[in-house]
Amino acid sequence: MKDTLWKPVPRSVRKALEERGIVTGEVCSLAAADMNNDGGLQNIYLLLTPERLIFAVSDQCGEMAYAGASLPKRRQPEGIAELYDYSLSRLGNPKILNQVVGGLLTVDVDGTETWLCRFSGTKMRRMQRFCEDLDALLSGRPLKERGDDGEDYCPKCGAPYPERGRAVCPRCMEKHTVFVRILQYFKNYKLRVVVMLSGVTISGLANAVWPYLSGSVLYDQVLGGGGELAEKLGIPGNTMLLLLLLVLTMAGTHFIRHLTGIIHGRMTAYMVPDIVCKLKQRVFDSLKDLSVGFFTRRQTGSLMQRVNGDANEVMGFFIDGLPYFLFNVVTMALSIFVMFSMNWKLALVAIVMLPPAAIVCYVVGPRYWHANGRRARMVRSMYSLLNDDIVGARVVRAFGQEKNENKRFDKVNERVRAAEMRVVHYGNQYDIAYSLTRDIPNLLVWSVGALILLNSSGNFTYGELLTFVSYLTMLQGPLEFFSDVFRWWASSMNSAQRVFEIIDSHPEIEEKENPLQLDIQGDVELRGVSFSYEPNKPVLKDISFHIRAGEMLGIVGKSGAGKSTLVNLISRLYDPDDGEVLLDGSNVKDISFASLRGAVAMVSQETYIFMGTVAENIAYARPDASREEIVRAAIAASAHGFICRLPDGYDTVIGSGGRELSGGERQRVSIARAILADPKILVLDEATASVDTETERAIQASLEKLIQGRTTISIAHRLSTLRNADRLIVLDNGKLVESGTHEELVQRRGVYYKLLQLQSKALAMRGIE
Amino acid sequence: MAEQKHQPKAGPDSEPDILQQEKKAVEEIIAIRSITAENTVFRRTQGGFVRMEFTTPEGEVKSYPRVSVHRCFPFSDPTHFISIREPEADGREIGLIEDLDALPRDMRAMLEEQMNLRYFTPKIEKVHSVKEEYGYAYWDVTTDRGACRFTVRTGGGGNVYAIGPNRYLINDIDGNRFEIPDLYKLSAKEIKQLDLFI
Repeated sequence: MKDTLWKPVPRSVRKALEERGIVTGEVCSLAAADMNNDGGLQNIYLLLTPERLIFAVSDQCGEMAYAGASLPKRRQPEGIAELYDYSLSRLGNPKILNQVVGGLLTVDVDGTETWLCRFSGTKMRRMQRFCEDLDALLSGRPLKERGDDGEDYCPKCGAPYPERGRAVCPRCMEKHTVFVRILQYFKNYKLRVVVMLSGVTISGLANAVWPYLSGSVLYDQVLGGGGELAEKLGIPGNTMLLLLLLVLTMAGTHFIRHLTGIIHGRMTAYMVPDIVCKLKQRVFDSLKDLSVGFFTRRQTGSLMQRVNGDANEVMGFFIDGLPYFLFNVVTMALSIFVMFSMNWKLALVAIVMLPPAAIVCYVVGPRYWHANGRRARMVRSMYSLLNDDIVGARVVRAFGQEKNENKRFDKVNERVRAAEMRVVHYGNQYDIAYSLTRDIPNLLVWSVGALILLNSSGNFTYGELLTFVSYLTMLQGPLEFFSDVFRWWASSMNSAQRVFEIIDSHPEIEEKENPLQLDIQGDVELRGVSFSYEPNKPVLKDISFHIRAGEMLGIVGKSGAGKSTLVNLISRLYDPDDGEVLLDGSNVKDISFASLRGAVAMVSQETYIFMGTVAENIAYARPDASREEIVRAAIAASAHGFICRLPDGYDTVIGSGGRELSGGERQRVSIARAILADPKILVLDEATASVDTETERAIQASLEKLIQGRTTISIAHRLSTLRNADRLIVLDNGKLVESGTHEELVQRRGVYYKLLQLQSKALAMRGIE
Repeated sequence: MAEQKHQPKAGPDSEPDILQQEKKAVEEIIAIRSITAENTVFRRTQGGFVRMEFTTPEGEVKSYPRVSVHRCFPFSDPTHFISIREPEADGREIGLIEDLDALPRDMRAMLEEQMNLRYFTPKIEKVHSVKEEYGYAYWDVTTDRGACRFTVRTGGGGNVYAIGPNRYLINDIDGNRFEIPDLYKLSAKEIKQLDLFI
């Protein structure tokens, strides 16, 4: 516990504090701020003892490592420059004031509201805890026991994690472990992998034999008029037979190459879809277990890209990259071996030029890839502009902005053109550099080879020179491959890492082991519930209420008052930071997801229609529902009428790509969905917000039927919607400000009464209160 | 704080009263009140904040023990249209300063202090390296405040964006902000490092 407490403080600072007479054992809460009062980068350590609030200013400044950066390598250990403190008896009402970046710890000092210390966004979470502790100490409450969140720092390299709630240190997650992990996916295909790899090796060998046959053998032995080879084969002088044999052998190697190619292709075709499919399945499995919070933190687009693109990218490398790697290694090794064994001097000439040429390629290549990447980004931004203009075409016309839009487009288009030019430019550079790597050794070999040929009588032949040049040409493929393979490897490993990140991530909201299987009756109680999406921006503060099974609770409040968040806590889409939510007397954290989600259904202001027929959408929560039940539910939701008017009735395909429904129609489909789900607890979150008055009345009527015998929690702006509520609560700024029956609240003449007056006078000026 | 008017008053309100109140509230919301040296006095508090006394056009003097100072155009026009607000998170606007330069020097300094607290944004002077790995880019830069190393999420976009010609804002994973005041003051090599974002 103590070690956790002192985590933000370097050992040297702790020592310096002890030297200055601070009893470190007395410190009960601790935080580090990262800015001095002028906004300079300096660590300030805040220590809280039962009597004092101590500020220890670091003796080093002008450098800061924010989250994700490795700790600074300081030349000397950090010490304390300055120390000042406040007696707690002078302090009161601590709070954190949020700024655009970071915040201010503000405390009343001798009754004057004073900001004591500034800090950046990185320190917000810890500072907030510190502030809570300070508040607890000042008001005589016990400090909250907090376990080690274990998330802040990587145990291996000491760097803060880049993302909270995700204990993955990208530096320490090594590429080769990712590599090994992917290899495991090939476990079930051992035989196929072996066949494939040996196929590739054989094809590499066959490839390497070819120049020898078409060069040395053809020119020197056959055309040169039956040399030693014919004698060895026992057919001296028989050139025609030798030619025939040669052609057959050549045909044979070709055949082998194609055969192994086919084997490779078939093995790939077997394995790839299987493994990619498995990988995607794993990703999707973990995706749907993840909590809602995960999805709100990330953009949906990048998630979809991950599931799809990354799995393909990873496999692409393993299926294409690795075998070709082997193939190219075999080809290259053999070529070089043959070249040296034929004529080492010439081989040296050929090889010597390769490394500098490869370096040129390596230098120019990245520029080319860069330019390519840039073009892709430009084209993307052009697409998004186009998309803007096409989707917003009506607005553009309505405001007569066609000309400006043209200008905007011209600008982006011009950038695309410029990027395109760069691609061509660097592409040319790359081509030239690449041709040089090919042409210079070639020319050298031709000329040096010719010299050798002229000077040495008989040792070196025409055929050998031709063979030599063929081998040299054959080296180009591997060279090109190797100059690119590392980039390929790195990007594939990046994809793999992203994929594993999702597979490995733990849902924030987890089902307890051996959860309670309850037949929930619908008794809901909240006890002192607080919740925030972001540190120091509380959405709900200390909310308590109790609804008995079968009652209806109305929630009233401004938009942004926390109403929707409150109902999300009941169905456990999020867990409260503080306090507990009880269903039938049991904490929702103990209840199994199956019992919980089976008991709670929600009709919200955002209706979501899945791709499928109307009937499938209504039966979403109970796919086994009979047609009769579906129609009954639709009638009860007053959706039957419009569904029947659709040409395809209940079989109409709706959702993305299907028929568009109006807001009211979608709303009614989702009400029918809730009716069919038959939940014990029904949550209506502005269920009738997007429909016209007449439809609303119809929906109201059907809702009234629906809420019979269930616990209902209804959120509404229009108070008329809540007239049947047994009890009402009024939320304001995350706090419960009024609660009681309609009559009680009217008597009280408070917020509710005021709203009621406004609305009943038909003078509802929404958005005012 | 200073205002009690949104809190329901105790005692029975007659219905027209409530409507009247609402009407007044609406008018207050849509009115633009400008803050000038003539109708307002700002004072530094001992606690490092700014207090304010504001005389409404109707001649009513309102006093606020602490105010928030927001820029309406933090990037494109930091010295005009300064909104002075009640300090709570959802506080209302007290008034608008159309031109900061028109205020007396000391008043202006006071407000600028408050804005410096609010908009902490080191300016990047030198880019040592930007390394991208696994969806995060690790920046190592020198700013006007000193050496900073921070992490930016890549992909999805929106973490580095233009806030003016050749001017960029960078949001790191904790919501800290860094600014490149003029891209072309950096060397070609530094700009190349930023190619991934810009």
